[in-house]
Amino acid sequence: MADRSSPVDAAVVRHVASLARLEVAEGDLPRLTEQLARIVSYIDQLKQIPEEGAGPGAETATPLRADEPGPCDGAKALAENSPRSVHGYGAVPRVVGEGA
Amino acid sequence: MEVAEEAFRAIERVEGRISAFLEISRERGLEEARQVDARVASGEALPLAGVPVAVKDNMWVAGRQATCASRILEGFRPSGDATAIGRLRAAGAVFVGKTNLDEFAMGSSTENSAYQKTRNPWDLTRIPGGSSGGSAAAVAARAVAGALGSDTGGSIRQPAACCGVVGFKPSYGRVSRYGLVAFGSSLDQIGPLTRSVADAARLYRIMAGEDPRDSTASALSVGDPEGAVGRGITGLTVGVLAEAEAEGLDAEVAADLAAARQAFADAGARVVTVSVPRAPSAIAIYYVVASAEASSNLARFDGVRYGPRTSEADLASLYVATRSAGFGPEVKRRILLGTFALAAGYYEAYYGRAMRARDLLRRDFERAFVEADVIVCPSIPGPAFRLGEKTEDPLTMYLSDVFTVPASLAGLPAISVPSRLTQGGLPLGLQIMGPRFGEEAVLAAAAAFEKRAAFPSEPPRGVAG
Repeated sequence: MADRSSPVDAAVVRHVASLARLEVAEGDLPRLTEQLARIVSYIDQLKQIPEEGAGPGAETATPLRADEPGPCDGAKALAENSPRSVHGYGAVPRVVGEGA
Repeated sequence: MEVAEEAFRAIERVEGRISAFLEISRERGLEEARQVDARVASGEALPLAGVPVAVKDNMWVAGRQATCASRILEGFRPSGDATAIGRLRAAGAVFVGKTNLDEFAMGSSTENSAYQKTRNPWDLTRIPGGSSGGSAAAVAARAVAGALGSDTGGSIRQPAACCGVVGFKPSYGRVSRYGLVAFGSSLDQIGPLTRSVADAARLYRIMAGEDPRDSTASALSVGDPEGAVGRGITGLTVGVLAEAEAEGLDAEVAADLAAARQAFADAGARVVTVSVPRAPSAIAIYYVVASAEASSNLARFDGVRYGPRTSEADLASLYVATRSAGFGPEVKRRILLGTFALAAGYYEAYYGRAMRARDLLRRDFERAFVEADVIVCPSIPGPAFRLGEKTEDPLTMYLSDVFTVPASLAGLPAISVPSRLTQGGLPLGLQIMGPRFGEEAVLAAAAAFEKRAAFPSEPPRGVAG
C-alpha cells in the first residue's frame, strides 16, 4: 500500500513521465506508482540526517582544456548510425512551418 | 593465435550453459591475434600479448556492437574504441566478445538485460550478480582470463563476489570514462574482473591515467599497482567496518568476516574496528543521485541519432514512442525516479538533500581513514540468489548493493576478493576499500588476503565437465 503521506501519487507519476518523455500505460500506472512511492518512502530516511557541516557534495571545478580545433568523427558516426539521415544530418519529422 | 583459438573453444564449451555473451567475435578476434603475433615477431614488447579479454556491452570496441543490453541501441556500432579499450589493444589484448549486463548497467542480477539471462557458473539456477554479470560469469567459467566491467554502485564487485572472481573498481577518476556509455557520471568507473589480484592490477595499470577526452580522469601518477601486489601488509592497519558487523548479518557472511579479521592478523597487519556512521544511508543517497544522473544521461536516446526509431508522426511522439518501446521497466523506473528527484518542487528535498548527505558520507570515510589504511567488509549480504527471486520488488533488489554503494559515492578504490564457498557451495567475497587514489594499499591488502583465503581452485561445478 502506498504511504498516505508519500509525495508520489498517480498524478505526480504522470507529470514526471511527461517530463521524461516516457509513456506509462494506464494499466501499468497503479503498480508503478506503488513501486515508486515505496522507493521514495525508503529514500525519505535521509530526512533524519542532520546536515551541519555538509558541503555541496560535488567536485565543483570542471577542469578546462585549451580551445583548439581537432579532428571530429561526429558526421561519420551520425551517417552510420542515425535511423534516417539526409545529406549527413539526422532527419526528424517537420517541427516548424506548414504540416508541422 | 593459439591462445585466441583456445579462448574461442573455451567460450564454446561453456556458453550454452551460462549465456554470458551478447556477441562473440571469432573472426575479428582471430584477426586481432594475427596482428599481435606480427607485432611481437617484429620485436614489440607487449604486456598483454594475445591475452583474450571480454568486454561488457556498454563500452565501445571499434566496429563491435554496444547495445548496453537495451533494444534502444540495437544495431548501434561505435566506430572507435573507448580510451581504456584502446590502451589494452595497444598492449596486445585480443577482444573476444561483448558480455551481457543489466540494461544500461542498472541492476544487480543481469536479469534486466533485454536480450538474455546469464547464469551463475556455480549454480545455473542462480544469478551471476549484476550489472556486469556476463563478464563475471565468463571469467568464473574460465571462458576468458580477464573481462572488463563497469561499476556505478557495485556492478563489478557484487557480480565478482557472486561468481567467485576478483573484481576491482578503481577510484573515481583513475580510468577514463570516454567510450563507456554514461549511467551515473559522478560514479561510473571501468575496472577488471579476473581470477587473481595480480591480473587485475595489470589490467588496471594499463588502462589507468589521464585522458584529454575525459575531464574527470585524474592527472595523478598511476604509481606502481603491480608492485603493490607483492608488497605484503606488515605494519598496515586494517579497519573492519563496524556498521557491517551490526545485527542481522547472515551467519555465514558473519563467520566469513571473522575469518578475514584473523587472516589479516596472521599476515602481519594490525586489525581494528572503524565506523562510517552514514554508511547505512548510502543506498538511499545512491538511488537519488545515480537515478538523477541517469535521467539526464539517458535523455539522448530519442530515436534521432542512433538506434531504432518508432513512429514519425511528429517529433514529440517520436521521442515518447521510441523511448517507451526501447527502454525496459527498470530503466524506466530509474529515469522516473531521477526525473522526480530533479523536478521543480522536489529538487531541494531529494537531490539537494542526497548530495549533502553524500558529502557527509565522504567525510565519514576521511575520518575513518585516519584510523586505518584500508577498510574491509563483506562484498555481498548473502550468496547469489535464484533467478526470479527478487524481480517482484525493486527495493529488495536495490538492497543487494548495501556494502558496495558507499565506496562508489565517496569515489574510493574498492576490490572484491573471493573468500570462501558457503555450505551450499556458493561464493562469498571480501571487499577491501582504500582512501581516494589509494589503489596500492588496496591491492597489497587484497593480495595478502587472497593468499590466505579458503577459496577452492577447481572450476565451478555448473560448468565442470
